[in-house]
Amino acid sequence: MEFYTKPGEYDAINYIPPAESHGTKELWRTFWILLGITVLDFIIYFVMPHTGFRNFIFIFFGIVKAYYIVGAFMHMKYEKINLALIILVPTIFIIGLVMGLLYEGNALTYAK
Amino acid sequence: MANHQQAAFEQQPMWAGGRSPFNVSYGKLMMWLFLLSDAFTFSSLLVQYGAQRFSNVQTPIVTKWPDPASIFNHFPFMHGLHLPLLFVSVMTFILIMSSVTMVLAVEAGHRKSKKEVVRYMIYTIIGGAMFLGCQAWEWSVFIGEGATLYGNQFGITEAGQKVFGALGFGDHFEWQPEYRTAGPVPFAALFFIVTGFHGFHVFSGVIINVVVTIMAARGAFDRRGHYEMIEKAGLYWHFVDLVWVFVFTFFYLI
Repeated sequence: MEFYTKPGEYDAINYIPPAESHGTKELWRTFWILLGITVLDFIIYFVMPHTGFRNFIFIFFGIVKAYYIVGAFMHMKYEKINLALIILVPTIFIIGLVMGLLYEGNALTYAK
Repeated sequence: MANHQQAAFEQQPMWAGGRSPFNVSYGKLMMWLFLLSDAFTFSSLLVQYGAQRFSNVQTPIVTKWPDPASIFNHFPFMHGLHLPLLFVSVMTFILIMSSVTMVLAVEAGHRKSKKEVVRYMIYTIIGGAMFLGCQAWEWSVFIGEGATLYGNQFGITEAGQKVFGALGFGDHFEWQPEYRTAGPVPFAALFFIVTGFHGFHVFSGVIINVVVTIMAARGAFDRRGHYEMIEKAGLYWHFVDLVWVFVFTFFYLI
Protein backbone atom coordinates (compact mmCIF):
# COMPACT_ATOMS: atom_id res chain seq x y z
CA MET A 1 0.00 0.00 0.00
CA GLU A 2 1.42 3.34 -1.00
CA PHE A 3 -0.04 6.51 0.40
CA TYR A 4 1.21 10.03 -0.08
CA THR A 5 3.83 10.04 2.62
CA LYS A 6 7.49 10.85 2.22
CA PRO A 7 9.94 8.38 3.79
CA GLY A 8 10.55 9.20 7.45
CA GLU A 9 7.47 11.36 7.70
CA TYR A 10 4.67 10.42 10.10
CA ASP A 11 2.29 8.11 8.25
CA ALA A 12 -1.15 8.22 9.82
CA ILE A 13 -2.65 5.48 7.70
CA ASN A 14 -0.02 2.76 7.70
CA TYR A 15 1.28 3.40 11.20
CA ILE A 16 0.85 0.42 13.52
CA PRO A 17 1.28 1.03 17.26
CA PRO A 18 4.09 -1.22 18.51
CA ALA A 19 2.99 -4.50 20.10
CA GLU A 20 4.77 -5.75 23.17
CA SER A 21 4.80 -9.21 24.66
CA HIS A 22 3.25 -9.57 28.11
CA GLY A 23 4.80 -13.00 28.59
CA THR A 24 3.09 -16.36 28.63
CA LYS A 25 2.52 -16.64 32.38
CA GLU A 26 -0.86 -14.90 32.36
CA LEU A 27 -1.97 -16.87 29.29
CA TRP A 28 -1.35 -20.20 30.97
CA ARG A 29 -3.07 -18.97 34.14
CA THR A 30 -6.11 -18.04 32.02
CA PHE A 31 -6.02 -21.48 30.42
CA TRP A 32 -6.14 -23.19 33.83
CA ILE A 33 -9.01 -20.93 34.94
CA LEU A 34 -11.01 -21.74 31.78
CA LEU A 35 -10.31 -25.45 32.13
CA GLY A 36 -11.20 -25.35 35.83
CA ILE A 37 -14.54 -23.64 35.16
CA THR A 38 -15.35 -26.16 32.41
CA VAL A 39 -14.58 -29.06 34.76
CA LEU A 40 -16.74 -27.36 37.41
CA ASP A 41 -19.56 -27.08 34.84
CA PHE A 42 -19.20 -30.80 34.22
CA ILE A 43 -19.30 -31.67 37.93
CA ILE A 44 -22.26 -29.41 38.73
CA TYR A 45 -24.18 -30.93 35.81
CA PHE A 46 -24.06 -34.34 37.47
CA VAL A 47 -24.26 -33.29 41.10
CA MET A 48 -27.07 -30.73 41.11
CA PRO A 49 -30.66 -31.35 40.02
CA HIS A 50 -31.92 -29.39 37.01
CA THR A 51 -33.29 -26.17 38.48
CA GLY A 52 -33.38 -22.51 37.58
CA PHE A 53 -30.57 -21.92 40.04
CA ARG A 54 -28.35 -24.43 38.24
CA ASN A 55 -29.08 -22.67 34.93
CA PHE A 56 -28.14 -19.37 36.57
CA ILE A 57 -24.80 -20.86 37.69
CA PHE A 58 -24.07 -22.11 34.15
CA ILE A 59 -24.86 -18.71 32.61
CA PHE A 60 -22.76 -16.96 35.26
CA PHE A 61 -19.84 -19.33 34.52
CA GLY A 62 -20.31 -18.63 30.80
CA ILE A 63 -19.95 -14.90 31.44
CA VAL A 64 -16.85 -15.48 33.59
CA LYS A 65 -15.30 -17.56 30.78
CA ALA A 66 -16.19 -14.81 28.29
CA TYR A 67 -14.46 -12.25 30.54
CA TYR A 68 -11.24 -14.27 30.57
CA ILE A 69 -11.30 -15.02 26.84
CA VAL A 70 -11.94 -11.40 25.85
CA GLY A 71 -9.74 -9.87 28.55
CA ALA A 72 -6.64 -12.04 28.40
CA PHE A 73 -6.74 -13.94 25.10
CA MET A 74 -8.07 -11.08 22.99
CA HIS A 75 -5.90 -8.55 24.88
CA MET A 76 -8.86 -6.32 25.72
CA LYS A 77 -7.30 -5.57 29.13
CA TYR A 78 -4.34 -3.92 27.43
CA GLU A 79 -6.32 -1.96 24.85
CA LYS A 80 -7.23 1.67 25.27
CA ILE A 81 -10.49 2.25 27.16
CA ASN A 82 -11.97 3.93 24.03
CA LEU A 83 -11.74 0.68 22.10
CA ALA A 84 -13.03 -1.43 24.99
CA LEU A 85 -16.09 0.80 25.34
CA ILE A 86 -17.15 0.83 21.68
CA ILE A 87 -16.99 -2.97 21.64
CA LEU A 88 -18.48 -3.78 25.04
CA VAL A 89 -21.19 -1.15 25.50
CA PRO A 90 -23.38 -2.21 22.51
CA THR A 91 -23.49 -5.79 23.81
CA ILE A 92 -25.47 -4.54 26.84
CA PHE A 93 -28.48 -4.25 24.53
CA ILE A 94 -28.29 -7.99 23.86
CA ILE A 95 -29.08 -8.64 27.53
CA GLY A 96 -32.27 -6.57 27.21
CA LEU A 97 -33.26 -8.48 24.07
CA VAL A 98 -32.68 -11.83 25.79
CA MET A 99 -34.79 -10.85 28.80
CA GLY A 100 -37.61 -9.53 26.62
CA LEU A 101 -37.78 -12.46 24.24
CA LEU A 102 -37.57 -15.12 26.95
CA TYR A 103 -40.51 -13.47 28.68
CA GLU A 104 -42.49 -13.24 25.44
CA GLY A 105 -41.56 -16.80 24.47
CA ASN A 106 -42.81 -18.12 27.77
CA ALA A 107 -46.09 -16.23 27.30
CA LEU A 108 -46.48 -18.00 23.92
CA THR A 109 -46.61 -21.40 25.70
CA TYR A 110 -50.05 -20.58 26.98
CA ALA A 111 -51.17 -18.86 23.79
CA LYS A 112 -50.72 -21.83 21.47
CA MET B 1 12.34 5.31 12.04
CA ALA B 2 9.83 3.41 14.15
CA ASN B 3 10.53 5.56 17.20
CA HIS B 4 10.20 8.71 15.13
CA GLN B 5 6.82 7.46 13.90
CA GLN B 6 5.71 6.57 17.43
CA ALA B 7 6.69 9.99 18.78
CA ALA B 8 4.84 11.72 15.93
CA PHE B 9 1.83 9.47 16.55
CA GLU B 10 1.65 10.29 20.24
CA GLN B 11 1.95 14.03 19.58
CA GLN B 12 -1.20 14.09 17.46
CA PRO B 13 -4.33 15.31 19.27
CA MET B 14 -6.59 12.35 19.91
CA TRP B 15 -9.85 13.29 18.22
CA ALA B 16 -8.58 15.78 15.61
CA GLY B 17 -7.90 13.24 12.88
CA GLY B 18 -4.56 11.97 11.64
CA ARG B 19 -4.32 9.25 14.26
CA SER B 20 -6.38 6.41 15.60
CA PRO B 21 -8.09 7.47 18.84
CA PHE B 22 -8.26 3.77 19.69
CA ASN B 23 -4.49 3.28 19.55
CA VAL B 24 -4.82 0.34 17.15
CA SER B 25 -4.20 0.02 13.45
CA TYR B 26 -7.01 0.29 10.94
CA GLY B 27 -7.08 -3.46 10.29
CA LYS B 28 -7.32 -4.42 13.93
CA LEU B 29 -10.07 -1.89 14.62
CA MET B 30 -12.05 -3.25 11.68
CA MET B 31 -11.57 -6.80 12.95
CA TRP B 32 -12.97 -5.75 16.34
CA LEU B 33 -15.97 -4.10 14.70
CA PHE B 34 -16.56 -7.16 12.52
CA LEU B 35 -16.49 -9.31 15.64
CA LEU B 36 -19.03 -6.99 17.28
CA SER B 37 -21.38 -7.41 14.32
CA ASP B 38 -20.76 -11.16 14.38
CA ALA B 39 -21.60 -11.16 18.09
CA PHE B 40 -24.97 -9.65 17.15
CA THR B 41 -25.47 -12.37 14.54
CA PHE B 42 -24.88 -15.15 17.04
CA SER B 43 -26.90 -13.38 19.70
CA SER B 44 -29.88 -13.18 17.39
CA LEU B 45 -29.63 -16.93 16.77
CA LEU B 46 -29.25 -17.75 20.46
CA VAL B 47 -32.04 -15.37 21.46
CA GLN B 48 -34.29 -17.08 18.94
CA TYR B 49 -33.32 -20.43 20.45
CA GLY B 50 -34.16 -19.13 23.92
CA ALA B 51 -37.54 -17.77 22.85
CA GLN B 52 -38.47 -21.00 21.05
CA ARG B 53 -37.39 -23.09 23.99
CA PHE B 54 -39.28 -20.98 26.51
CA SER B 55 -42.40 -21.21 24.36
CA ASN B 56 -42.32 -25.00 24.83
CA VAL B 57 -41.81 -25.07 28.55
CA GLN B 58 -44.45 -25.50 31.18
CA THR B 59 -43.33 -25.30 34.75
CA PRO B 60 -42.55 -27.29 36.81
CA ILE B 61 -41.50 -29.94 34.26
CA VAL B 62 -40.37 -29.58 30.68
CA THR B 63 -43.21 -30.94 28.65
CA LYS B 64 -42.53 -30.54 24.95
CA TRP B 65 -38.92 -29.49 24.59
CA PRO B 66 -36.67 -32.58 24.59
CA ASP B 67 -34.14 -32.92 27.39
CA PRO B 68 -30.67 -32.51 25.77
CA ALA B 69 -29.13 -35.01 28.22
CA SER B 70 -31.33 -37.78 26.83
CA ILE B 71 -30.28 -37.08 23.23
CA PHE B 72 -26.66 -35.90 23.17
CA ASN B 73 -25.40 -38.80 25.27
CA HIS B 74 -23.11 -40.62 22.84
CA PHE B 75 -19.38 -41.03 22.82
CA PRO B 76 -17.25 -42.56 20.04
CA PHE B 77 -16.47 -46.27 20.54
CA MET B 78 -18.79 -46.38 23.59
CA HIS B 79 -21.87 -47.64 21.88
CA GLY B 80 -25.05 -47.99 23.93
CA LEU B 81 -23.77 -46.19 27.02
CA HIS B 82 -25.52 -43.15 28.49
CA LEU B 83 -22.78 -40.50 28.62
CA PRO B 84 -24.30 -37.03 28.47
CA LEU B 85 -22.06 -33.97 28.16
CA LEU B 86 -18.83 -35.97 27.98
CA PHE B 87 -18.24 -35.63 24.24
CA VAL B 88 -19.04 -31.89 24.11
CA SER B 89 -16.75 -31.35 27.09
CA VAL B 90 -13.96 -32.98 25.11
CA MET B 91 -14.81 -30.69 22.17
CA THR B 92 -14.73 -27.67 24.51
CA PHE B 93 -11.34 -28.74 25.81
CA ILE B 94 -10.00 -29.06 22.24
CA LEU B 95 -11.23 -25.56 21.37
CA ILE B 96 -9.83 -23.98 24.57
CA MET B 97 -6.50 -25.71 23.94
CA SER B 98 -6.36 -24.43 20.35
CA SER B 99 -7.15 -20.94 21.68
CA VAL B 100 -4.14 -21.21 23.98
CA THR B 101 -1.81 -22.27 21.17
CA MET B 102 -3.21 -19.37 19.09
CA VAL B 103 -2.47 -16.84 21.81
CA LEU B 104 1.03 -18.33 22.21
CA ALA B 105 1.52 -17.78 18.47
CA VAL B 106 0.44 -14.13 18.89
CA GLU B 107 2.88 -13.75 21.80
CA ALA B 108 5.68 -15.30 19.70
CA GLY B 109 4.73 -12.83 16.95
CA HIS B 110 5.29 -9.93 19.34
CA ARG B 111 8.83 -11.25 19.81
CA LYS B 112 9.10 -11.69 15.99
CA SER B 113 10.06 -15.34 16.40
CA LYS B 114 9.02 -16.86 13.09
CA LYS B 115 9.78 -20.45 14.02
CA GLU B 116 7.61 -20.40 17.14
CA VAL B 117 4.76 -18.62 15.35
CA VAL B 118 4.62 -21.30 12.66
CA ARG B 119 4.83 -24.11 15.21
CA TYR B 120 2.01 -22.79 17.40
CA MET B 121 -0.12 -21.94 14.36
CA ILE B 122 0.18 -25.54 13.17
CA TYR B 123 -1.00 -26.75 16.60
CA THR B 124 -3.94 -24.34 16.34
CA ILE B 125 -4.90 -25.63 12.90
CA ILE B 126 -4.77 -29.23 14.16
CA GLY B 127 -7.03 -28.28 17.09
CA GLY B 128 -9.54 -26.61 14.76
CA ALA B 129 -9.57 -29.61 12.44
CA MET B 130 -10.12 -31.96 15.40
CA PHE B 131 -13.03 -29.85 16.59
CA LEU B 132 -14.61 -29.95 13.12
CA GLY B 133 -14.22 -33.73 13.05
CA CYS B 134 -15.95 -34.03 16.43
CA GLN B 135 -18.78 -31.85 15.23
CA ALA B 136 -19.22 -33.92 12.08
CA TRP B 137 -19.49 -37.04 14.24
CA GLU B 138 -22.02 -35.35 16.53
CA TRP B 139 -24.14 -34.31 13.56
CA SER B 140 -24.02 -37.71 11.93
CA VAL B 141 -25.25 -39.40 15.14
CA PHE B 142 -28.04 -36.86 15.56
CA ILE B 143 -29.10 -37.21 11.91
CA GLY B 144 -28.91 -40.99 12.24
CA GLU B 145 -31.49 -40.79 15.02
CA GLY B 146 -33.95 -39.09 12.71
CA ALA B 147 -33.35 -35.36 13.15
CA THR B 148 -33.71 -33.18 10.07
CA LEU B 149 -33.84 -29.46 9.42
CA TYR B 150 -37.61 -29.69 8.95
CA GLY B 151 -38.56 -32.24 11.57
CA ASN B 152 -37.76 -33.54 14.98
CA GLN B 153 -38.33 -37.10 16.10
CA PHE B 154 -37.86 -36.23 19.76
CA GLY B 155 -41.36 -35.08 20.58
CA ILE B 156 -42.63 -36.67 23.78
CA THR B 157 -46.03 -38.38 24.05
CA GLU B 158 -48.28 -38.19 27.12
CA ALA B 159 -47.11 -41.63 28.29
CA GLY B 160 -43.53 -40.39 27.92
CA GLN B 161 -44.30 -37.22 29.84
CA LYS B 162 -45.55 -39.26 32.79
CA VAL B 163 -42.36 -41.34 32.79
CA PHE B 164 -40.20 -38.24 32.35
CA GLY B 165 -41.96 -36.43 35.18
CA ALA B 166 -41.50 -39.40 37.52
CA LEU B 167 -37.74 -39.65 36.94
CA GLY B 168 -35.56 -39.15 39.98
CA PHE B 169 -32.35 -37.13 39.85
CA GLY B 170 -29.65 -39.07 38.01
CA ASP B 171 -32.09 -41.40 36.22
CA HIS B 172 -32.00 -41.11 32.50
CA PHE B 173 -34.87 -41.04 30.09
CA GLU B 174 -34.96 -43.77 27.44
CA TRP B 175 -36.64 -42.96 24.15
CA GLN B 176 -38.95 -45.98 23.84
CA PRO B 177 -40.94 -45.97 20.57
CA GLU B 178 -44.21 -45.37 22.44
CA TYR B 179 -42.81 -42.18 24.01
CA ARG B 180 -41.78 -40.70 20.67
CA THR B 181 -43.76 -38.49 18.38
CA ALA B 182 -43.10 -35.52 16.12
CA GLY B 183 -41.73 -32.80 18.38
CA PRO B 184 -41.09 -29.07 18.17
CA VAL B 185 -39.35 -28.48 14.83
CA PRO B 186 -37.12 -25.64 16.13
CA PHE B 187 -35.28 -28.06 18.42
CA ALA B 188 -33.51 -29.85 15.57
CA ALA B 189 -33.58 -26.91 13.16
CA LEU B 190 -31.94 -24.50 15.60
CA PHE B 191 -29.40 -27.11 16.65
CA PHE B 192 -28.33 -27.50 13.02
CA ILE B 193 -28.44 -23.78 12.27
CA VAL B 194 -26.55 -22.57 15.35
CA THR B 195 -23.93 -25.32 15.60
CA GLY B 196 -23.67 -25.28 11.80
CA PHE B 197 -23.10 -21.54 11.78
CA HIS B 198 -20.50 -21.91 14.51
CA GLY B 199 -18.88 -24.84 12.70
CA PHE B 200 -18.70 -22.78 9.53
CA HIS B 201 -16.93 -20.06 11.52
CA VAL B 202 -14.46 -22.66 12.79
CA PHE B 203 -13.97 -23.87 9.22
CA SER B 204 -13.27 -20.37 7.90
CA GLY B 205 -11.03 -19.76 10.93
CA VAL B 206 -8.99 -22.84 10.00
CA ILE B 207 -8.70 -21.56 6.40
CA ILE B 208 -7.57 -18.11 7.64
CA ASN B 209 -5.06 -19.78 9.98
CA VAL B 210 -3.67 -21.92 7.14
CA VAL B 211 -3.25 -18.82 4.97
CA VAL B 212 -1.47 -16.75 7.64
CA THR B 213 0.70 -19.73 8.62
CA ILE B 214 1.88 -20.12 5.03
CA MET B 215 2.51 -16.37 4.86
CA ALA B 216 4.48 -16.50 8.13
CA ALA B 217 6.49 -19.53 7.02
CA ARG B 218 7.42 -17.75 3.78
CA GLY B 219 8.63 -14.75 5.74
CA ALA B 220 5.98 -12.28 4.58
CA PHE B 221 5.61 -10.82 8.09
CA ASP B 222 9.36 -10.55 8.59
CA ARG B 223 9.55 -8.44 5.43
CA ARG B 224 6.60 -6.39 6.67
CA GLY B 225 8.32 -5.85 10.00
CA HIS B 226 5.45 -6.90 12.25
CA TYR B 227 3.23 -9.93 12.93
CA GLU B 228 -0.04 -8.05 13.26
CA MET B 229 -1.81 -10.37 10.84
CA ILE B 230 -1.39 -13.20 13.37
CA GLU B 231 -3.06 -10.97 15.98
CA LYS B 232 -6.03 -10.32 13.70
CA ALA B 233 -6.44 -14.01 12.87
CA GLY B 234 -6.10 -14.65 16.61
CA LEU B 235 -8.93 -12.24 17.45
CA TYR B 236 -11.20 -14.10 15.07
CA TRP B 237 -10.17 -17.49 16.47
CA HIS B 238 -10.78 -16.43 20.08
CA PHE B 239 -14.17 -15.08 19.09
CA VAL B 240 -15.07 -18.51 17.70
CA ASP B 241 -14.03 -20.00 21.05
CA LEU B 242 -16.13 -17.37 22.85
CA VAL B 243 -19.22 -18.26 20.82
CA TRP B 244 -18.69 -21.93 21.60
CA VAL B 245 -18.75 -21.12 25.34
CA PHE B 246 -22.32 -19.87 24.91
CA VAL B 247 -23.41 -22.60 22.48
CA PHE B 248 -22.09 -25.16 24.97
CA THR B 249 -23.96 -23.45 27.82
CA PHE B 250 -27.33 -23.05 26.10
CA PHE B 251 -27.51 -26.21 23.99
CA TYR B 252 -25.95 -28.79 26.27
CA LEU B 253 -25.75 -27.58 29.88
CA ILE B 254 -29.15 -25.97 30.26
